[in-house]
Parts: sequence; C-alpha cells; structure tokens
Amino acid sequence: MKDEEIDDVLNKAAQAPDDLDPQVLGSITASIRTSLQPVRALPPGWILTAGLVVVCAAISLAGAMRLGFFGFQKMDLLERWIVFPVLAVLTWLAATTFVDQMIPASRQRFRPAAFSGFVVIALLAMFAMLFRDHQIDHFVSAGVACLATGVLHAIPAGLLGWLLLHRGFAVNSTTAGWVAGTLAGLAGIGMLELHCPNFEAAHILVWHIAVVPVSGALGGLTGWAIRLPWLAGNKH
Amino acid sequence: MDGGENLEMLMSRYQQGDFGAAAAMINRISPRLHRYFVAQSLSRADADDLLQETWLRVHKVRHTYRPTEPALPWFYAIARHIRVDHYRKSVRTAARERELDAIAMEPSTMPREDNPMARLEEWLAPLPASQREVITMLKVEGMSLEEVARATSSSVGSVKQKVHRAYKKLRETISTASPGKWQKGGLS
Repeated sequence: MKDEEIDDVLNKAAQAPDDLDPQVLGSITASIRTSLQPVRALPPGWILTAGLVVVCAAISLAGAMRLGFFGFQKMDLLERWIVFPVLAVLTWLAATTFVDQMIPASRQRFRPAAFSGFVVIALLAMFAMLFRDHQIDHFVSAGVACLATGVLHAIPAGLLGWLLLHRGFAVNSTTAGWVAGTLAGLAGIGMLELHCPNFEAAHILVWHIAVVPVSGALGGLTGWAIRLPWLAGNKH
Repeated sequence: MDGGENLEMLMSRYQQGDFGAAAAMINRISPRLHRYFVAQSLSRADADDLLQETWLRVHKVRHTYRPTEPALPWFYAIARHIRVDHYRKSVRTAARERELDAIAMEPSTMPREDNPMARLEEWLAPLPASQREVITMLKVEGMSLEEVARATSSSVGSVKQKVHRAYKKLRETISTASPGKWQKGGLS
C-alpha cells in the first residue's frame, strides 16, 4: 500500500460526520454560560521572562548581601566579565523555557531535558576554563555547605517564580517544575559565585554546579506531586 | 475546517466575556476534539466525559491564550493534557476496574459500527499512543506540522519522525494482515 492510499483512507475518516451527542454540547454551553466573565490575558512572554530574571537576580544579590561578596571581590576582571554574563544568558534562556512551559501550545524553543543538560555542560566548560586551582581542601564539608546554601537560595527563587506565573497553566507540571527548578538553581549558583571565595576547581565544578540538577530534581518532584490526587484536591 | 483567523477572533471575544463567541467556539471545536478522543481508542462515553472536562479546563484557563498565537493547538494541548490525566487515573484504579477498562479500550473486541471513524480507530489501534495522536491531528484534523508540534509540546522534527514511523508501521500492519480489505474498500 502506498502513502497516498493511506492518506486517502485518513481523509475519508476526516470527512466523516462525528457522532457527538447534541445534549453534550448543550450541557457544555450551559455550564460555561453560568460563569462567563471577561478575563485579562497573560502579559507578553518577554515581560514574564524579564520578571523571572529580575526575581533570580534579586535573590542572588540579597543572599550575597547577607553573606558577603567575598567571591566577587576575589575574582579578577576577566572572571567577572565571563561568569556573570554567562549566568545572565543562561538565566534568561531558562526563564524563557519556563514561560513556554506555563502557556499551553507555546513554541518549544528547547527540549526541557536537553536544556537542563546544556546548562550543566555550559557551566562545566566555563568553570573548567576559568578556575585552575586543583588543590582539594575540605572537599566534602565545604562542598556540602555550598550546595546547601545554593539550594536554600534556589527555593525562594523557585517559589517566587512560580508565584509570578501562577496564572499560567502547565500541561506537564513535572516538566514545568523541572525547568522552574533549573531556573531557581541558576539563582542559587549566582549567589554562590558572588559569595563563595573557594576557587578550587573541584569544589566549583562539583558542588556549585550540583545546585542546578538538585534544584531541578526538587522542582520536578514538586511538579509531579501536585498532580497526585490527594494534593490536587481529587478533582477528577 | 475552520478558518484560522475566525477561531482566534472568537477566542479573543470569548476572553472578553462574549457568550455568542463562546457558544460558536463550542460548536466548532467540540466535534474535532471529540473525534480526537475517539481516535485515541477511547469509548464514546469516555470521549463525551473528556470533552466536557476539556471545556471546563479551557474555560478555567482561557486567559492563558494569547491573541497573537494560533488557537487550535492551544485547544489540543489542553485536550491532550486531559487525556493523559484520564490515562493516569485509569492506571490508578482498582485491579478489577483496570481489567474492565482494558477490555473497553481493546479495539479488536469492541463492536464496530460500519462507519469511517470506527474503522479508523481499528486501523490506528496498533500504533503507539504518541504516533496515533500525531496522525489524528495531522491527517484527520488537518493541522499543520507546526500546529501539531505546539499541541504536543514537541518539535516539528519530532512530529515528522513520528509520522514517518507511523506510516511505516501502518504499511507493515496492512501488508501482513489483510491487504485486500483496506485496498478494496478503504474506510468507506
């Protein structure tokens, strides 16, 4: 059988009348009529994206203001001019992807899973290129402290981001949560780069970057959990 | 098929609280969404339920539609979300109910009316759900590749790949089953 013949068969199905019960249509129309009011459409995507980037920047700066800008002060000019613009670009891309996830039928610029992988690889490449101190002191104890601090700053960034887009609708809440977590993780990493004066390559490559996948996993888990019947109010 | 512009204009008026536009949208979109649900191997009763559930959700999140964007993929994205939720719900039900659902959703055991849609369900049944969905949107509903990609949260390349695989599988199924049955009468 040729493709044209398959097309022909499908076209015949397309032209067939649907046996939808008119009573169903009547019931839908009646249920909508009772609660029909004007609604305000969501703002343009770039405004939402900019809002998310501002939230992330504010969380990073607030955290560094509280803990100290030791990392920023220790960096040389080249490191400052590479690290923070790259983080800003990645944050903008993550915010765009999150906005796409919260608006049904948005054009998918990036596949969320691939995007998270891209963020981690980009950060690995950038930090490996900039930080060449291969000493390892207090690898675990200092690392866990940085990971915890980064994730603790990612959580409010994720919550504020979710609040900013609370009028959106995620057709896949797990994926949306994962992307929101990745975005929040970038806020956490931004704070660490401003604050942490430990420039050992292994410390940054492992513990700082780990904030992104850990936050992503927390976000994905939250997105998955809110679909569980007992958390979703058993609406089905 | 609906003119794209008209749907977008109706959607904008629906957002502004125009009941006439809402009713027109319901009359135009519902048969398409119903056919989409039926083509996913759902029973007529389930398709009716999911259609109503879809419209309730559409009504609740109508503010997420942006007037500059195509409306049809937006509807299908929500319908798809409802269908996936329905599938997950059915997986979670008790073992006995699951068995009954499986029987109800098994196309070969369903009584077949002699109409193109019933035959289409039978024809698409061997395909994986993701391929069946893409074929229904693209070939039966007449959506563009870009619209299908938006509705299924995937890329145009991924949609093309699924269509290619679906056609390959359909050709294999037809040639190994009963070629004369399809070539002679098709779905008419």
